[in-house]
Amino acid sequence: MLSIKNLEAGYGKVQVLHGISMEVPKGKVVTLIGSNGAGKTTTMRAVSGMIKPTSGEISLHGKRVDGLESYAIAKQGLAHSPEGRRVFATMTVTDNLILGAFPRLTGSRPKGDVPGDLERAMDLFPRLKERRNQLAGTLSGGEQQMLAMARAVMLNPEIVLLDEPSMGLAPILVEEVFRIIGDLKARGVTMLLVEQFAAAALKVADYGYVLENGRISVHGEASKLRDDPAVKAAYLGGGH
Amino acid sequence: MEILLQLIYSGIALGMIYAVIAFGYQLTFQTSDTLNFGQGDALMLGAMVGLTLVNMGVNYWLMLPLVIVFGLVQGGFVERIGVRPAIKIKSEFGWIMSTIALGIIFKNVAENIWGRDDLKFPSPLPESPIKLFGANILPMEILVVVGAVLMMLAVEFFNRKTIYGKAVVATFNDRDAAKLMGINTGLVITFSYALSSATAGFAGALIAPLTLTGATMGSVLGLKAFAVAIIGGLTSGMGIIVGGIILGVAETTTGFYISTGYKDVPGLVLLLLVLAFKPAGLFGKSAIKKV
Amino acid sequence: MNRKTLIAAVLGLALLAAAPLLTSNPYYVHMIGTIMIYAILLYGLDIVVGYTGQVSLGHSGLFGVGSYTAGVLFLKLGAPLWLIIPASIVVTAGFGALLALPALRVTGPYLAMVTLAFGTIIQILINEMNFLTEGPLGIKIPKPSIAGHKLSEHEFYWLTFALMVLSLVVVHRILKSQLGRAFEALRGSPVASDCMGVSVYRYKVYAFVISAGFAGLAGCLYAYSEQYISPNTYNFELTVLFLLAVIMGGRKTRSGALLGAAIIVILPKLLDDLEMFRVVASGLAVLMFIGAVVGIAKKMTTPKAMAIPVVGTIALAGFSFWLQSITDWRLSIFGLMILFVVYYLQDGIVGFARSLFARKSNADTRIASVSGKDAVMVAAHAGAGETGTDLLVATGVLMQFGGLKAINQVDLRIKRGTIHGLIGPNGSGKSTMMNVLTGIYVPTAGSIEFAGSSVVGRTSSDIALSGIARTFQNVQLFGEMTALQNIQVGLHHTFNSNFVDVSLHTPRFNREESAATERGLGLLDFVGLGDLAFEEARNLPYGKQRLLEIARALALDPQLLLLDEPAAGLTAPDIKELVAIIRKIRDHGITVILIEHHMDVVMQLCDTVSVLDFGQKIAEGKPAEVQANEKVIEAYLGGTVA
Repeated sequence: MLSIKNLEAGYGKVQVLHGISMEVPKGKVVTLIGSNGAGKTTTMRAVSGMIKPTSGEISLHGKRVDGLESYAIAKQGLAHSPEGRRVFATMTVTDNLILGAFPRLTGSRPKGDVPGDLERAMDLFPRLKERRNQLAGTLSGGEQQMLAMARAVMLNPEIVLLDEPSMGLAPILVEEVFRIIGDLKARGVTMLLVEQFAAAALKVADYGYVLENGRISVHGEASKLRDDPAVKAAYLGGGH
Repeated sequence: MEILLQLIYSGIALGMIYAVIAFGYQLTFQTSDTLNFGQGDALMLGAMVGLTLVNMGVNYWLMLPLVIVFGLVQGGFVERIGVRPAIKIKSEFGWIMSTIALGIIFKNVAENIWGRDDLKFPSPLPESPIKLFGANILPMEILVVVGAVLMMLAVEFFNRKTIYGKAVVATFNDRDAAKLMGINTGLVITFSYALSSATAGFAGALIAPLTLTGATMGSVLGLKAFAVAIIGGLTSGMGIIVGGIILGVAETTTGFYISTGYKDVPGLVLLLLVLAFKPAGLFGKSAIKKV
Repeated sequence: MNRKTLIAAVLGLALLAAAPLLTSNPYYVHMIGTIMIYAILLYGLDIVVGYTGQVSLGHSGLFGVGSYTAGVLFLKLGAPLWLIIPASIVVTAGFGALLALPALRVTGPYLAMVTLAFGTIIQILINEMNFLTEGPLGIKIPKPSIAGHKLSEHEFYWLTFALMVLSLVVVHRILKSQLGRAFEALRGSPVASDCMGVSVYRYKVYAFVISAGFAGLAGCLYAYSEQYISPNTYNFELTVLFLLAVIMGGRKTRSGALLGAAIIVILPKLLDDLEMFRVVASGLAVLMFIGAVVGIAKKMTTPKAMAIPVVGTIALAGFSFWLQSITDWRLSIFGLMILFVVYYLQDGIVGFARSLFARKSNADTRIASVSGKDAVMVAAHAGAGETGTDLLVATGVLMQFGGLKAINQVDLRIKRGTIHGLIGPNGSGKSTMMNVLTGIYVPTAGSIEFAGSSVVGRTSSDIALSGIARTFQNVQLFGEMTALQNIQVGLHHTFNSNFVDVSLHTPRFNREESAATERGLGLLDFVGLGDLAFEEARNLPYGKQRLLEIARALALDPQLLLLDEPAAGLTAPDIKELVAIIRKIRDHGITVILIEHHMDVVMQLCDTVSVLDFGQKIAEGKPAEVQANEKVIEAYLGGTVA
């Protein structure tokens, strides 16, 4: 589904990614973990077009998407729930969700049943249902995270990118978020999950890549990675 | 007392014009962090084009939508030529100077086409005043207020009820996130410039019958409308209406009680005071600096 | 300034001085006089536009204040020349200070609007205050007299010339001194300026006041030169012309100002003569076409990029043949010129010419850096205290943004002479803490005591000068200045010289300037950047930029140095170098707070580590203890989530 080959990217003079390669097969949940500054969010941004890669290839369904504007990539069916949520604060929950379906409503993607999908999203995220007419800016951090994820799902996407969904959330909410990710997985949604919290991510993912200083240091089946000491070392240093 | 009330009526009409121009500043600022220093000249062009159409025999009411279309094109042009290249090279100095330059060019072109003298714009409504609460108000003044309010309501409706309007509001809120939704934010910015010139041109066609219409009518108007936009904090619609009315009334009363030469002063002083003491505006929210 | 430039400048000026003798036509003498007068104003305007980087649309108003001070003093008091000149300068400088007040807290388009409003108000006031200014009637002023002798046209010209050269020298000296560096710092990074002890507010005011002074001098001379002044001269078009002159001539250069002045004086006259204009426009179109072809052939540019200028100039030439008169289209021509300069000639003509003949910046190697003697001076402030005592004590710090508690009741005790690490996951409040300690944010509650006095509520620049220096997570260097100059901004606090010292190059100034250069080079050596002293900061590789930021912070002679993720984005060898430098810094007795994500760096360097999570401190202790602490592991890895 999503294929990344030798991706290099950075910001201005700073090169963050030094050639990483990853695959996200259809229907699977792949996670990219690593400590801060390792380049996880940079990877997400390069994939969704928020930044342009300096070299390498990114393909969605075999079609090259590197170098395209993020709105063009969204139209190809890639939904990105960005770091920090970034919901549209002055708009209602419902409007935020409707905007998630923007390409469907404006002819860039097959329309499908938008009102129906809206209701189904509300069912999947009960907290949002209660607050459908509330302004997104007044929601709590956890609720905003739900909203960002639901909004991404509204695209009827081929793949969902989840960027640090647990950031800034209290542990109880982190639990809920990961439970929802599990639900989405059960429905067959393909996901690329970037997380600071390795343990939670590896529990829900099928496959994992560990990013260290802009390079993939270890990768493998999620269940196997959980016990790999290299993972701990990547975060807390010491021992390598 | 009658005179005061009359001045207040005129002030409100004038204030609504300021509010409409200020509205244009808000639009482009919210979507692109830029503004059009030639906004006042967009108003002037609307008035002049309107005058030409009316003199050619076009009915006033038909002329208004035509002026709006002209404004849309003019605004889009300004964005393409002046603002988009500057945003690309991330130069604030760039769009400030180029919108100033475009404003100067438009004004010069207007001077050459329509001459440097002020012209009379035929009023579509009877020119005799009506009595409202004992003071005189011109029918045209009522039209101005109604027209301005209708225009702003129309844009509000567009923003709230249509998907494209929502896309514009999303761009206000968070440009990057809007792009992730598949929204072409570059197009949104062009559209916001087009709309802001269209509303300014419309305002110009509305106010033209009330004042002298000429190539220079836009310059100081644009500056004073900026004061109103600042009071509204560049984010609040209500704020600019309140600010506009305050300024309009302050001007008409200064013009009458002190001298017409000084009538522009309250607006300008207001601008300086607000920026000196509350740069985020009376209604706006202050930004949190991130380092 | 090197030898060749100096000779060229002297020759040019000599030519200018000899002008009245070379031409018998008083029209040309007057025109060159006007060019020089405008140049005086532009030297000042360049300070605001070229150096601090702000758009000022109010300088025609200041010009008017200068002219009218002269006019009114002459009309009402019959004042003599030696009184009018300084009066014009001082009064206009006063107006400049007035203008700076609303301009203090705003920047960019807001500042431009403020200056525009100001200029418009001045024009209105001049027009309306008949009792003082004669309003629209204007004021007539004859040529001035010195000691009873009325100056002839030529003599007045030489007076103007003398004042222009004087202005040139003064402005040049100011801009090459610590004042000029402070102005440039304002544009480079206002936050970094404040944190290096250069108060943005204060220097903004200085920039406006100084540029206003020059505008006043120019205005006064203009009044005498024209012998008649009226309000409608000082309008929006004039202010735009001044801006066009600065950007077209070339900002940050004196020759650019002169060239710009020449352009805006000669151009209108050129435009009055249609035949001349047709010739020039055609010539321009041909030149542009040739230039584009050559450029494309040499692969310096693409057809697409050249399309607009080529088509534009050809269209302009065609237009000029169609028109009967070009005078009425003057303003459009100016508008088009502005557009052209803004997009294609950002450094102006002089800047463009310089880049064509680009020479490597000449290293002024006569001043050897003082190696051996260590440039890193610890705050030898009395009561420096002993290692181990408390240097900074923060108690119950709360930083709330709306509903979000970014820092929630944090206590921090930093001991002198130690390296104290501050770590935690993203969003835990580390950088916020930095910003609170350096005055960028004012804490919602809590107390912060540094070396005995409270930090809360003080300005960043004040805090910097009292001994806390910092670096930034996103490098905030003054890009267009050299590495040495960046450090010299950090050394700003060592200067006691004022405007007079700088203009006259008094012994005090010379002493301070060479000490700053010496010390600056020493600091560069300390971080290993000695041979890059004269490179522009923005051209340095990323790793070196980070080191430069540290050197700049050290220039403040701090007792406490805050390093915000100094290793971010660095490669392994760079990180090794960084660790060695930080150790050296500690060995000099400077206390360090280090925010970092690179755990190995933290482990190697820190004596104590505090861990933040969700704005609260969850652990503190020696690095190894913290590394093994379960709560910390959980905070980073999220161990027990379902």
